[in-house]
Amino acid sequence: MATEHEYLTRTAERCHDPYLRCALYGAAQTVLGINGCCVLAHAPQGCNMLVNSAFGWQDADYTETLTLCTKLCEDEIVHGGEELLTRTILEAREFNIPIMFILSACGPEIVGDDIVAVCEDIQDQVDFKLMPIQCAGFRGSQYDGTDIALEALLKNLVTDAGQKTANSVCLIAPHANANPTWMGDLEWVKNVLAQMGVQVTATVTHGTSLSDIEKVSTSEASLLLSFDCGQKAVDYLTTEFGIEQVCKDIPLPFGFGNTRRWLTELGERFGARDVADRLITEGEKRVVEVCRRKGLEQFFMHRAPAAIVTDATIGIPLVRFISEDLEMFPELICLRSSQEKAREILEKELKELGLSPRVIYGADVYQSKVALAESMPEVVFGSNIEKHGTEELDIPFILLIASPTMRFRMIDREYFGYTGMLNLIEFIQNDWRERYRSRQSRYQARW
Amino acid sequence: MDSDYIAFRGSLQQLLEKVESGEMVPKLQASHAPPCKFWTAFMVVNGIRHVAPVIHGPTGCTYGVANAYKLTSCEYRGVPLEPTTCTALDESNVVYGGEGKLVEAIKEVDDRYHPELIAVLSCCCSGIIGDDVETIARDAEKSVNAKVIAIRSEGFGGDFRSGFEDAFRAVMDLMEPPRQTREKTINILGARVGPTYTEWLEDLDEIKRLVSAIGVEINAVLCGGCTLDEIQRAREVKLNASWCYDWGQKLGDLMQERFGIPYSRTGQPYGLRATDEWVMGVAGPLGLEKSARELIRKETDQVRAELESLRRNLNGKTAIVEVAEFPGPIRALSLARMAEEFGARPVVINIHPYTIKERMPSIKFLLESGQNPEVVLTKGLFSLGTFRSSRRTELEIRQLVTNYDNAIFLGTPMRQPGIPQVNLTTRTGYPQYGFPGIRNIARLVESAVAHAARPRSKLFRQVLYGG
Repeated sequence: MATEHEYLTRTAERCHDPYLRCALYGAAQTVLGINGCCVLAHAPQGCNMLVNSAFGWQDADYTETLTLCTKLCEDEIVHGGEELLTRTILEAREFNIPIMFILSACGPEIVGDDIVAVCEDIQDQVDFKLMPIQCAGFRGSQYDGTDIALEALLKNLVTDAGQKTANSVCLIAPHANANPTWMGDLEWVKNVLAQMGVQVTATVTHGTSLSDIEKVSTSEASLLLSFDCGQKAVDYLTTEFGIEQVCKDIPLPFGFGNTRRWLTELGERFGARDVADRLITEGEKRVVEVCRRKGLEQFFMHRAPAAIVTDATIGIPLVRFISEDLEMFPELICLRSSQEKAREILEKELKELGLSPRVIYGADVYQSKVALAESMPEVVFGSNIEKHGTEELDIPFILLIASPTMRFRMIDREYFGYTGMLNLIEFIQNDWRERYRSRQSRYQARW
Repeated sequence: MDSDYIAFRGSLQQLLEKVESGEMVPKLQASHAPPCKFWTAFMVVNGIRHVAPVIHGPTGCTYGVANAYKLTSCEYRGVPLEPTTCTALDESNVVYGGEGKLVEAIKEVDDRYHPELIAVLSCCCSGIIGDDVETIARDAEKSVNAKVIAIRSEGFGGDFRSGFEDAFRAVMDLMEPPRQTREKTINILGARVGPTYTEWLEDLDEIKRLVSAIGVEINAVLCGGCTLDEIQRAREVKLNASWCYDWGQKLGDLMQERFGIPYSRTGQPYGLRATDEWVMGVAGPLGLEKSARELIRKETDQVRAELESLRRNLNGKTAIVEVAEFPGPIRALSLARMAEEFGARPVVINIHPYTIKERMPSIKFLLESGQNPEVVLTKGLFSLGTFRSSRRTELEIRQLVTNYDNAIFLGTPMRQPGIPQVNLTTRTGYPQYGFPGIRNIARLVESAVAHAARPRSKLFRQVLYGG
């Protein structure tokens, strides 16, 4: 069967049941990764709920990061909200903050509030830097918002140092990843780079200081940690500062094959091939030993028809992991976004692996559900949405590995690399056992 | 010195007057941002079965409410996941208008999901560009199988109260002229199946049990998991009664005004007196006083020990009730009334002027019904807006409680002011309404008194207040 690729544009569908929030959320999620910042939503109060969600996703801390809202009402929509924005910024002078990001929502952008002019006018009256970002919800999805905010950060804060730090890399968009504890993936990347003697100049963004952002231009290379957004930022860094993108044509490191390729390319680029080889040998040996000793439930995995309904960041690398390592075969892939580069990588992967699943890019909840009903896989790699949304289809295994899910929130567990592989196998096996758990007792105990 | 940390001390009536005259406005504009009108309108719609919301706006508003209410309803309320759709308005729709897209979306929703009801909700974008959602909904209904309603719910268009009030108005338009009058049948008003922190299904179950025990049937719980058919038949009942008075009041008043259906205006059934009033408020108009009296007598007998325990532990004390995420303002006032019933002097702390403003009709009703407790507002809470205010508020409350001899704290475990503290958020503490509520609260108060000396853990303290 030939691979059927569908690209459903926004205009092809009139009603849309989205997996993604809007641009305001993506921008908030991105700037909240800057240490000690203050985020002011120039918005009605409901939009602040999105900023609060972004706050949680970035692991921000109430003791360190402030979020404020201008709480626009009808008056400001009719007469403009610039005066209220000015007052709110000036009131924040009592806070000791290095920078304030002003994010505009749909309402003030449509009525023409000029947040850039307001910031310019009052910059002298405050001790902190003001950075306006126009990221109204109608500008696109949360991934578009991430791109907007990344552009603003890089264009306004990065200075051209004119020289490079040897063996250095900047990490782009780690937060745009549906692994609910994506910080684990980020930590794994940093750890691997450290072992290879590679210096991370900046993470854009998570727990990032302003001074780190400023020196992004000194990086020799960039590593994009998302397949859903961030490519524009990486391209900008290449054009503007000659920063080379590494590992750009291969999936992120899930499972043996992907991790081997990823570590090998990094090792070769940074003259640390021996480290890469050691990591691969030791890592693969450990995974095999752990699975042999603790038990790998091959029975339900072998040749199981599977569906992947996630973001592209984890969805694309899952393809090789579940087909090469877990012996499943993907029948359906529904990705929440549709970046051109991500599509290229996925299509190359499918060709290499000899797979021909149905692929839907930019899927919404309805499209995923209909596609799942049509293909009726044995296993779905997805989220709480698939768990509840497909209940009546009686698909045996809905494995909760993507956001939104309420599980595994406290400790950052990576999906990348070898421990990540074990983490994924453990989640899969726990869900598998849960499915087999008896729901009712056949008779009552006597004690 | 009180003035160091007290922003207001007086009666609820006096605070209301200050709010009405515009005297109590916090300095920081950015503080206190509860959900907007759109979110609360959605909460009402979310409580109707087999409804397909069509949000005429971008994806952020849509995914926000779907994630907050739909998915959590599935996780915790046994509700199946039904769609939350939108028109995904983009820049070009904002410039050229999105009405055509909305018409198509309504048709597509009808085809795809076969809903009983389609609810069109506008948000900031569609509201500002002037898309006429009401006319479109009216016209579109002619070409689809589902009923279609529209709610003007632009986030900037009002506070959260206006969202649920406008949504209830739209729901009223679905109510058909009665084909019959169903004796001894009521509607319960003011519910949401969409989970908010202050809402518990166990309380609703207790209300259902009470009315069933006196021989009354419930047509619909509006809008707590009701069907379109139940809404359409809502005018056939003899009486409306409230679950959450705050949310139900407007709908009750409007149904009384427009359809002549009497509304039992009682508060939440916390404690014996309020439970008696609630049950009699339903039984009286339906001519069921005798069976209601018998039920109350019988059930009161069964909780004698707990009533005695509550009197023993509350009599002569100052009951400090804090308004926070839980219990929320209306439950806090109900708890204050219950504490008074058992001999305590209630002091309600930290009911914010914003809350007074948003809950004005309910607060006025409670004042009219004779509830006018002492109210104290600390400066930390009044300033709001930052984590720092949370730490400050904790310190201020610790200081405040030293002014009262023999005080007991009812509220959220996010505070621990160093006096007996009743944690009303435990899972086994529900229901809090009615007779099982008396039993549960008595047990929680006993536990609070017994464990008063236990210190706050370092973990909790530092998570909550930093340091």
